[in-house]
Amino acid sequence: MTRTRLKKRLVPKLLIKHRLMGAEVLPVLVTTRKYGAARDVGNPVSQAKIYEAQLADELLVLNIDGTPIRGDAVMLGLIERLASETFMPLAVGGGVRSVDDFALLLAHGADKVSINGAALDGPELITAAAERFGRQCVVVSIDFRMEDVGPVVYRDRAAERTRWSVTEWAAEVTRRGAGELLLTDAGRDGTGTGLNCEVGRSVADLVDVPVILSGGCGLADHFVDGFVRGGAEAVAAGTFFCFRDQNPMQTRAHIRNASIPIRMET
Amino acid sequence: MIRQGTKRVGLIDYQAGNLQSIGNAFEHLGAEVVAVREAGDAANCTHLVLPGVGAFGFCADRLSSSGLTPLVERWALEAGRPLLGICVGMQLLADRSEESPAAEGLGWVGGSVRRIPGGHPEVRVPHVGWNTVTFAESCGSFAVGDEADFYFDHSYAYSDPTEGSTVASCRHGVTFSAAVRRGSVLAVQFHPEKSQEVGLRFLRGFLST
Repeated sequence: MTRTRLKKRLVPKLLIKHRLMGAEVLPVLVTTRKYGAARDVGNPVSQAKIYEAQLADELLVLNIDGTPIRGDAVMLGLIERLASETFMPLAVGGGVRSVDDFALLLAHGADKVSINGAALDGPELITAAAERFGRQCVVVSIDFRMEDVGPVVYRDRAAERTRWSVTEWAAEVTRRGAGELLLTDAGRDGTGTGLNCEVGRSVADLVDVPVILSGGCGLADHFVDGFVRGGAEAVAAGTFFCFRDQNPMQTRAHIRNASIPIRMET
Repeated sequence: MIRQGTKRVGLIDYQAGNLQSIGNAFEHLGAEVVAVREAGDAANCTHLVLPGVGAFGFCADRLSSSGLTPLVERWALEAGRPLLGICVGMQLLADRSEESPAAEGLGWVGGSVRRIPGGHPEVRVPHVGWNTVTFAESCGSFAVGDEADFYFDHSYAYSDPTEGSTVASCRHGVTFSAAVRRGSVLAVQFHPEKSQEVGLRFLRGFLST
């Protein structure tokens, strides 16, 4: 008997910035390259509906303005609309500082909450959130850059270096209760040159929670690599899903042809 | 005045569930949705839903201190009216859970909830994502076929409900109950409200009971 029939996940990543449009501040979907300047793409809600129709397994929504989620009516309103107009799982991050912030996002329709800088500032937040909401609700996002010493954890949109190696930090957050790890190679973000499967594999071999690999998808083959060589349970991509003109169902078919279990239809 | 034939779904609001998403799904299906914070709120409801997000002990404590337990017991066990448990709302039907050994479940279906063992690179815990649910014939009214993929997000699972109560199963390292039924009570470990078309079909099946 097969051990599991769990499918690998393809996760569109919606990077959100607040933009002043006339008199109103609106959430705008953007893409970035190597975590640099953002390029506006469009309306996140209409894009999410397209992704849903294309059988996205989950959505990852990240506010990259670095502003606190508490009191951010623009982000909270966006999450509420995504939850009411699509029927797929939502992981949300950006500006989350406390257990109350988790509760706030869940109340607006998020299913999972991603934290990054807050975990580095006070990793006890991971444990507190896992005890309150269950660890399946707690995603720890780890941004890294490749250096001579190996992959090093960075924070604040990969602008600031930390003292952590990726494997040390991954082990630490998992020990403290993280339910999933989102690993992004900032140097590959938006380049389409392929995922960092070596770092993905080193973390996947170390921890027993699912790893979501991100940063660098440009071809359907890159997803296959992430699952097979990188040991990922899920691959998240922003630019790939925003700008690819090839049919996403063809991408899925390509991945399935590589004997990777994914959903093809509902 | 409630229109004839309109379904009115009461979501048990005990401050431990994702009411928003479940409510959205039922509204999408044309039902009216109300939050049930006290027994009177359920007066005009046709269906009740017991959601649950969080640790087993947290949810059990909240349900107990909400004072709503007598309502759901009268509703489901005495009156035999339809109730759907989702995720920890399913696990609460057990006697207990390894997650919170000191907490007591409702015990309607018996048995216990255990941590999924994991321990293999293909069997990571939490169990997150779309997995195949195999339905028993007795669950045929839910119009999703013998097998369908639903979205799961959990670390603990119902391993040994009372014999005969499991109406759907799923495998992730171990085989566990994906759905149990006792009389008018149906409870699922997966999230139909997050399972796109197939999830909506499932919920429509529940509304037609």
